[in-house]
Amino acid sequence: MIWTLWKKEMESYFSTPLAYVLIGLFSLISGIIFFNLLVSYTDGIQSMPPNMAEQISFVEEVVLKFFANVNFLFLIFIPLITMKLFSEEKRLETIDLFWLSPIKEWQVVLAKGLSALGLVLAMLFITGVFPLVIWGVGVRDFSLLGTSYLAVSLNACAYIALGLFCSSISGNQIIAALLSVLGIMFLWMITWGGHLNSNYLVAEIFTYIGITSHFERVLRGILGTQDIIYFASFIFIFSFLAVKSLGRRNW
Amino acid sequence: MDKILVVDKVTKEYPGRVAVSNISFQVNKGSIHGFLGPNGAGKSTTMKMIAGLLPSSMGEIFLFDQKVSSQNVDIKNQLGLLPENAPLYVDMKVENYLQFVAKLHKVKNVNDQVNKVMEDLHLTEVRNRLIGNLSKGYRQRVGLAQAIVYDAPFLILDEPTNGLDPQTVVELRDFIKKLSSTKTILFSSHVLSEVEQLCDQITIIHKGKIRASGDLKEIHRKFRQGISIKLGIGCGEVLPDLSNFGKYEIHHHSTLPLEEQYQLTFEAEKDIRSDLGKFILDRGLKLMTLTVESPELEDIFLHMTETKK
Repeated sequence: MIWTLWKKEMESYFSTPLAYVLIGLFSLISGIIFFNLLVSYTDGIQSMPPNMAEQISFVEEVVLKFFANVNFLFLIFIPLITMKLFSEEKRLETIDLFWLSPIKEWQVVLAKGLSALGLVLAMLFITGVFPLVIWGVGVRDFSLLGTSYLAVSLNACAYIALGLFCSSISGNQIIAALLSVLGIMFLWMITWGGHLNSNYLVAEIFTYIGITSHFERVLRGILGTQDIIYFASFIFIFSFLAVKSLGRRNW
Repeated sequence: MDKILVVDKVTKEYPGRVAVSNISFQVNKGSIHGFLGPNGAGKSTTMKMIAGLLPSSMGEIFLFDQKVSSQNVDIKNQLGLLPENAPLYVDMKVENYLQFVAKLHKVKNVNDQVNKVMEDLHLTEVRNRLIGNLSKGYRQRVGLAQAIVYDAPFLILDEPTNGLDPQTVVELRDFIKKLSSTKTILFSSHVLSEVEQLCDQITIIHKGKIRASGDLKEIHRKFRQGISIKLGIGCGEVLPDLSNFGKYEIHHHSTLPLEEQYQLTFEAEKDIRSDLGKFILDRGLKLMTLTVESPELEDIFLHMTETKK
């Protein structure tokens, strides 16, 4: 049944202009970002003496910065994807189709989450063209490309879980999207709060709770147990809350 | 007779108001049970509680001898629901939508079942069209199709013919009548003539309370309270005193081209037509009309929903 619902959701995305508009916009904006980073990098190298230019890392200046920007784009794009997942079903009362069938709440949440992830991965897939272009002109240093994709994918999973929960508690798509945006911003701000706090323990706790520090570690290829536990527990907790929110109707 | 559905002293309260209060009724196996009531009477709330979509505040509902709850998976494939607003995905094609619903209910031969249902409801010609582009009549057919595509033995249809064109109404009514040979149906409608045509049992609900429930003929009989007779005598003739037949009332008198017609109600329960006819003829009067009048369901409905306010 998870497969049935996942397939229906994917067909629903691609049978309307929504998926194409989102993928198109994402590709355009990320393309502009990548191009600007590339121009800044080449300009930087050309304006420096050759011995210093070698110290400027392509990975550091282009690859990592690009994926940090992709993470920023998710602030807008993922809430746009997740906002309708439950809000729209509640508004149209199509959600009753699930509750009249033997499907369980967790199966609905999982299928919808995976379908949203499918669309996000389709968006990310397009960005795979950029490394190919660079490879074509002779740049071969893509050492952190794999972990960068892993980092943005893990972040996407976390944001989707948060978005699912927000959509499950509201019958209004706009409110669901706003809650998701605020939630993601809050996750970022916690990390900043950690950096600014003078108390070591509080700073450490804030840094752990915030998503940014984990994202940056994975981005740089340092995938530790704490990061795996963080992302797994984050995704589980918000998916669980979404299941509980949908299960409020149960008796 | 087997009871498919038993609603037992069910109350549904919302903050500040009671939607239904202590209602009880039963639906027999193989019947089409009409569920009547004006807007806001509590019909849709009751139907949603029966379908397990809403919890009751008090009381219990049993379907196929099992207590209805949102967690009871066993009854989910045994119940089909067409709510007032059919749950349709407007961006899906008709066939894909029905296949999706069938798969949710783990139907084994999905394609065969979907094809059969589309054929029965004349949806085959629109199978590849988006639901959002269909007319209201076709959408309602698709809504009904989703309720029957997994072959549930009990159907809840909430005003299925509301707002449709006359041809679609007749087709859907015929189809529902046909369905009743294999299924038990709880059917709500505002159109009383429709309920009279389709249903053998009815429940009348008003302001969240049950006003009458049971066999349609039995309710007719109870409501009648005496016997109502239409009597026609010759034009210009005067109606004699009929107190030999017990206490009676003349409700209506009209002079027609060929007769004087009277609407009479006698307190006596027995059929007095034969004696009354003889009485009129013995007095040298012409007997033009003599029929027993049954109260229309509309009269009963109005009586139940107006006089008991």
